[in-house]
Amino acid sequence: METGKEELRIGVFICHCGFNIGGVVDVPAVVEYAKTLPNVVCADENLYMCSSAGLSLIKEYIKKYNLNRVVVTSCTPATHETVFRNACEEAGLNKYFFEMVNIREHCSWVHMHHPKEATEKAKDLVRMAVAKASYLEPLVEPELEIKPSALVIGGGIAGMTAAMSLARQGFDVHLVEKESELGGMLRYLYKLQPTERDASEILHEAVTAVKANSRINLHTSTVIKEVKGFFGNFDVILQRHGSNELKQINVGTIIVATGAEGFQPLGMYGYKENENVMTQLELEQRLKNGGLKKPKKVVMIQCVGARERTGRTYCSRVCCMIALNNALLLKKLYPDVEISIFFRDMQTYGEYEDFYREAMENFIDFIRYDPDKPPKVTSKPNGKLAVTVHDVYLKAEVEIDSDLVILSTPLVQHEEGRKLSSVLKVPLGLDGFFFEAHPKLRPVDFSSEGIYVCGTAHGPKDVNESIAQAYAAASRAAIPMAVGKIRTEAVKAWVDTEICVGCDACEVSCIFNAIEALTFGHPHVVEANCKGCGVCAAECPLGAMQLRHFKDQQILAAIEALLKPKKLRGSGENFEPIILCFACQWCSYAAADLAGVSRIQYPHNVRILRVPCSGRVDVLHILKAFLNGADGVIVTGCLIGDCHYIDGNVKAKSRVETTKKSLKVFGIDLERLEIGFASSSEGQKFATMMTDFVERIRKLGPNPLRVGAGGD
Amino acid sequence: MFEIVTKRELAPHINLFEFSAKEIAVKTKPGQFVILRIDEEGERIPLTIADVNIERGTITVVCHEVGKSTKKLGRLKEVDGIPDLLGPLGKPAKIEKFGTVLCIGGGVFVAPLYFQVKAFREMGNDVIVIVGARTKSDLIYEDEMRQVCNEFYVATDDGTKGYKGLDFLKDLLKERKIDRAITMGPIVMMKTVAEFTRPYGIPTIANLIPVMVDGMGMCGACRVTVGGKMMFACVDGPDFDGHQVDFEELMARMKMYAPQEKLSFVFYEKGGRGL
Repeated sequence: METGKEELRIGVFICHCGFNIGGVVDVPAVVEYAKTLPNVVCADENLYMCSSAGLSLIKEYIKKYNLNRVVVTSCTPATHETVFRNACEEAGLNKYFFEMVNIREHCSWVHMHHPKEATEKAKDLVRMAVAKASYLEPLVEPELEIKPSALVIGGGIAGMTAAMSLARQGFDVHLVEKESELGGMLRYLYKLQPTERDASEILHEAVTAVKANSRINLHTSTVIKEVKGFFGNFDVILQRHGSNELKQINVGTIIVATGAEGFQPLGMYGYKENENVMTQLELEQRLKNGGLKKPKKVVMIQCVGARERTGRTYCSRVCCMIALNNALLLKKLYPDVEISIFFRDMQTYGEYEDFYREAMENFIDFIRYDPDKPPKVTSKPNGKLAVTVHDVYLKAEVEIDSDLVILSTPLVQHEEGRKLSSVLKVPLGLDGFFFEAHPKLRPVDFSSEGIYVCGTAHGPKDVNESIAQAYAAASRAAIPMAVGKIRTEAVKAWVDTEICVGCDACEVSCIFNAIEALTFGHPHVVEANCKGCGVCAAECPLGAMQLRHFKDQQILAAIEALLKPKKLRGSGENFEPIILCFACQWCSYAAADLAGVSRIQYPHNVRILRVPCSGRVDVLHILKAFLNGADGVIVTGCLIGDCHYIDGNVKAKSRVETTKKSLKVFGIDLERLEIGFASSSEGQKFATMMTDFVERIRKLGPNPLRVGAGGD
Repeated sequence: MFEIVTKRELAPHINLFEFSAKEIAVKTKPGQFVILRIDEEGERIPLTIADVNIERGTITVVCHEVGKSTKKLGRLKEVDGIPDLLGPLGKPAKIEKFGTVLCIGGGVFVAPLYFQVKAFREMGNDVIVIVGARTKSDLIYEDEMRQVCNEFYVATDDGTKGYKGLDFLKDLLKERKIDRAITMGPIVMMKTVAEFTRPYGIPTIANLIPVMVDGMGMCGACRVTVGGKMMFACVDGPDFDGHQVDFEELMARMKMYAPQEKLSFVFYEKGGRGL
């Protein structure tokens, strides 16, 4: 019943929000203005549009005026879009025929002392929304079926724990381990803190339980060759070492528990040149198999290859505890052994502080060194090692003759992990470890649905933290499998096959594996994998790829509507520039909301257009704004590294740079285009960014392409 | 001025052009390409030569309209001409008697493949040909190919004609002894073919035409990585060992100028209208 072909009948509803909007914006004037806009058949106002009276008004008008598009002009969609969408749906209108305008957070609250300008801005925003609404299309939210089986990659303690947890909840689990035996790093550890239990004991229990569980299908000496499909229905191809034969399994969810490896400090402190220089892990091996000759003097060096200025900048978290643990074990074995630990900062959080205290009570010597003056290790003719170091506290050189030098090295990502990252198309962080969807809110999820991470694959952790995280990942994976069905977003990529020439730019630009390039160049959108960022649409050289609900046509219509009145506002040097701000729905839009909530005032010249991601902003959108007379355009997104689509904002940044080059051709000053980044908590930063940009544009004067620019 | 002797639409947006270019025609061997410009300020378009006619002194190229310059070319008519036609460029394909040669072409690249198929056949090879396209209406050179090869297959992405996709090739490779494979087409297709032939150790040639400028080894725009080494497709290729080509990198490089392409396309198509 609702097609784009029929006559457009748009209803506009404007909210006073008590005094919040109505106290600044002249709402009745905006209502009267809305009535004059094309295709608008009715416009009305209410004290609170979200109240039951307001919602009834919308429903009543949909029926009474036979509306097929609804625009509500009120507060932020972050909180109220669902409410209004549901009202539309209840009145029989597809909820994607709804468009929302934010004149509270983005207008009345941030221009409190400029009622006249705020009212003009509200009219502009309504005009943009009505124009976009004219091109809205009905969408459905597809349902996905989730297979009740999981793939756990990595048979270390994290992987085994996750597999056991899922199996006990009744799900079938495929546990894949690249080595011939289960156990991972735990196989090489000696005694675990804080209980001093043998690692092999814990390992034995876990391995026995895994092997005994009939729901766990174990694949050792096996790697993941290929992953196809999507959340709920992944086709995974496994390959056994030394065999060309491939095995295919089908699972609903995937847990990455591939662990990490110890950094090999080649070329540092005589490692591999002198057999008495070894890593903590190698020391544990010798303690474990009794291959350690009794030392008189031992030196341990912390932060070897960790916390560097570039590259491995991170703290590996576990090495301080490992050093203390091994030092205390040595003391127990050989009470007269002298041990010195060279450290930069001892980072013994929580109960581990007890070991630090115990170590000091046991006369283990702690010497602080300066990373700019690291210790030096030289072999002496008598087979001993001479270790010299500048002691930060003594402010003097100290030399120690030692039998053993033990290097505390960080955990690092391994080659297999890096390969898996590209097979699964899930990202690695700058530290090389797997990168979660959100560090606080989604700590074990990847941003690709249905894939989770735990253990040291995600970053250095000790055994109990790995186990805790494995339980977390298992329960995250269990939720969709238990429910069996998931409703997904309707905002997905869509390709116009008439225009597409099969260049595959979209496939290359999609980080979520959501575009499959068929053999002869036809792109196929795997809707279940599509997150709706729109990066592919912006990267398509022909405009064949589009993002539903944010199609070029819809965005361009809003931009055109904004700039319809060509007349210059203000005059001479006091002209009032029109600034278009593209804001990503997750961060910068929310930052603008927060600026509103915090009543941080900024110039009224800014018009915000919501996009799913700054990566959706196309060179055409920017150019359209300038050619139609915008005085400045600012694209805003999440902080770099914080993008909800991993690197959409990075792509936006490079696209803005490219667009700047093209602007020259049109005689537009590059300074009129900017990109900025703000997190959802940076309301002040957003306001400052806008204030500075408006000032910059004011100085530059009107866009030379604007009709009537340069004078009145 | 190089005159267009023949222009024929083979499929929607795919045109055959026969250019009068005697000096190029006599020197051209299968696998080589030309670079042409439509006007003084035109973009340089590299196109692999699809045939020559020495008596007529002509070369044939087939071009798919994918952006501004190729659209412009598509609007030229017979008797129109172009100011620049440079070639033959690149190394000729290795045409020898190998035994059974499998030739797989996709989209517009089926045309230059035809030139090689003929040459392989003349050398006394058994030639198996697979031509593919996204959909039935995009298929070109079916009849021509049928006439010159020993065995002929058709495939489309959507299954509107012949096999759906290239999965059937796996079975073909299992059953048959193939001595050499030639693949010319979309990067994804060449990558797929190379993956399929790899386990059988069949020498597989991929014909690469990346972003190019001068075509003579000067600018470096057409860099490709083959076996970990940086090569220039224009002078070191365009034929490379398909098992060694870094296709992922090639795909990423191909979209390097997407924003510029988009702008110039929109301005050409609509004169910037709608903006």
